[in-house]
Amino acid sequence: MSVKYQSQKIAEYFYTFAVVLFLVQVVVGIIAALQFIWPSFFILNFNTIRTLHINALVVWILTGLMGATYYVVPEESETELWSLPLAKLQFWATVVAITAVVLGYIWMGLSPQANSPIMGINPLNEGREYIEAPRWADVLIVISVLLFLFINFMTMLKTKKWTGIQGTLVGGLLVLALMYLPGMVYSKSMVKDQFWWWWVIHLWVEGAWEVIAGALLAFMLMKVVGAKREVVEKWMYIEVGFVMFTGILGTGHHYYWIGTPSYWLWVGGIFSSLEPVPLLFMVWDAFRTTREARNVENKAGLYYTVAHAIFNFVGAGLWGIIHTLPQINKWTHGTQITTAHGHLAFYGAYVLLVMAMIYITLPSIRGVKSFNASRAFQSFWWMTISMVFIVLTITGAGMVQVYMERLMGLDYVAVKANYNLWFWIIRAIFGVGFLIGVGIFVIDFFRLGKEPVPVVTAAPERA
Amino acid sequence: MSNKAARNLFIFGSLFFFVIFLGLTYDTMGKLDGRAPEITEQINAGKMVWHKYDCIGCHTIFGNGSYFAPDLTKTTLNKPKSYLRQFLMDPKSANPNASMPKLGIRAEEADDLIAFLDWTSKVDTNGWPPKPILAAAGGVAGKELTEGQKVYQSHGCSACHTINGIGGTTGPDLTRVGAKHDRAWLVGHFKDPAAFVKNSAMPKVEAPETDIEKLTDYMLTLK
Repeated sequence: MSVKYQSQKIAEYFYTFAVVLFLVQVVVGIIAALQFIWPSFFILNFNTIRTLHINALVVWILTGLMGATYYVVPEESETELWSLPLAKLQFWATVVAITAVVLGYIWMGLSPQANSPIMGINPLNEGREYIEAPRWADVLIVISVLLFLFINFMTMLKTKKWTGIQGTLVGGLLVLALMYLPGMVYSKSMVKDQFWWWWVIHLWVEGAWEVIAGALLAFMLMKVVGAKREVVEKWMYIEVGFVMFTGILGTGHHYYWIGTPSYWLWVGGIFSSLEPVPLLFMVWDAFRTTREARNVENKAGLYYTVAHAIFNFVGAGLWGIIHTLPQINKWTHGTQITTAHGHLAFYGAYVLLVMAMIYITLPSIRGVKSFNASRAFQSFWWMTISMVFIVLTITGAGMVQVYMERLMGLDYVAVKANYNLWFWIIRAIFGVGFLIGVGIFVIDFFRLGKEPVPVVTAAPERA
Repeated sequence: MSNKAARNLFIFGSLFFFVIFLGLTYDTMGKLDGRAPEITEQINAGKMVWHKYDCIGCHTIFGNGSYFAPDLTKTTLNKPKSYLRQFLMDPKSANPNASMPKLGIRAEEADDLIAFLDWTSKVDTNGWPPKPILAAAGGVAGKELTEGQKVYQSHGCSACHTINGIGGTTGPDLTRVGAKHDRAWLVGHFKDPAAFVKNSAMPKVEAPETDIEKLTDYMLTLK
């Protein structure tokens, strides 16, 4: 089995960059975990390490989704990409820009004065969580995403086969691009700054990205178990519809305590409590569609697809809803509870999504019919068990923090340094476990389809 | 339901909720300035300093950020500004146990940053962060506070100092302070901390002589 259209192979470029950044993200994550125990461990301070950790995450998920889109759109449109050289240019321009941004973060980490404003703009690090990339990089990122959308749109225009999957996918990507813009405006008020900042962060991860996930879930179910298009597309519309109905006003759960009017307590509380509902639909959809499937060739692909649906619900849904009501959030806001939610949500919703897409599309890009999936399962269990324990330890630390700091009034530093020490140690140990899983995955990514598949012979007949 | 109906539900439903969201955003934008003090040039300069040093890479503000270091939304309400100023420029000189690195923040940058943090402390945050239930109950349940304990509370000493595990960690622990210093040292130190402890970041205790005596009596019971 190989790709139907040669230009689909461009996806591998993006996957490779994503996989390398994934490894970087987890290595710096372990450094960050050790800094919770020894704050002065390592030459770069925690703020730089954490910036690298979360930026690597965002960028590798985005490049992974870009690669997946370049694979899906030709297949759905039944034609080659509109311009392969332009897609390659977009890839290399993205790599160069991201590398420059990362070097800037490290430079600023080694010498903070290098980030002194030039004409009112910080040249290396904007100092805003998740969107630390400086303004010049924002412009390059916008150009890259627009070029990416343009190439895909022109490809769709070639044959005008407006399938639901690619329409939803590109629609989600368009919202993603638009929602980057509110983060590019400077406000003198920290309240307004954070208000618009949440437009970017929330409407990405609990809006546009989930829409993309819904479209890719539909595509993967069709690919892996041969589900009928009419059925998966209908459920996809219902899922992504409910993502938007609950997620847009669910932004209100970030507007409880940042200086915004109190009616957001009602709006955010009600709508964000409903946010797990579409994620539960996705779990049900994945189980219902795959339950009857027999003779699935790509078992790793199936495994990761269903795991993505489950952990999206558990991480983004359950770990979110536990602290989303204002009367609870008043005590948990700004504590490690949020960190725990962030880790499991990103792992379930987006890490497993991109990995599932890689396992489903990479074999045909490499031109192999089947591959040895044992490493895929090994890395899955190393990563998943480790992540579950990382999240449980951070949740435990969060509960101790809420009780001792928020309810009893103990000092932040005392709670962090003394009472939560064991949680930090156990978290770091499971961080290493997660790194082992990622290492197995990285090896598998580079070897997949390049080594002989063990021949499964029929059991010798014996009387 | 047909696929077309499901698609229309998705598209028009999303637009419907987005329009409501835009309406609420418009309303909120009109109300924000009334919920916060006016922003002066110095406050904005302080915000720029906040961004320049990527403070949010460790701290949180309005509860959003990195959860690695304390939330700073209301910090100027609890800590003396002279202490904050010295801490920002050289954390370990103000508190030997500080884990914050020396970032090279200049004196004027520190002043701007404190003005900015003073602004955030006055923003109406719908009551966040909440007052700790157990500490707000005051003292130990049912037990009268001594005169010295009342002075200790009214001056907010526990924002920086700890007694029996309760209080801040930016200043030294006072649980056994009575065993370490005598009356003369304590009284003199309250009046001028820097004369007794080199580089001390503690502000002078501005209180009548009788209150200083009561506070000293209380300190001497801590053995």
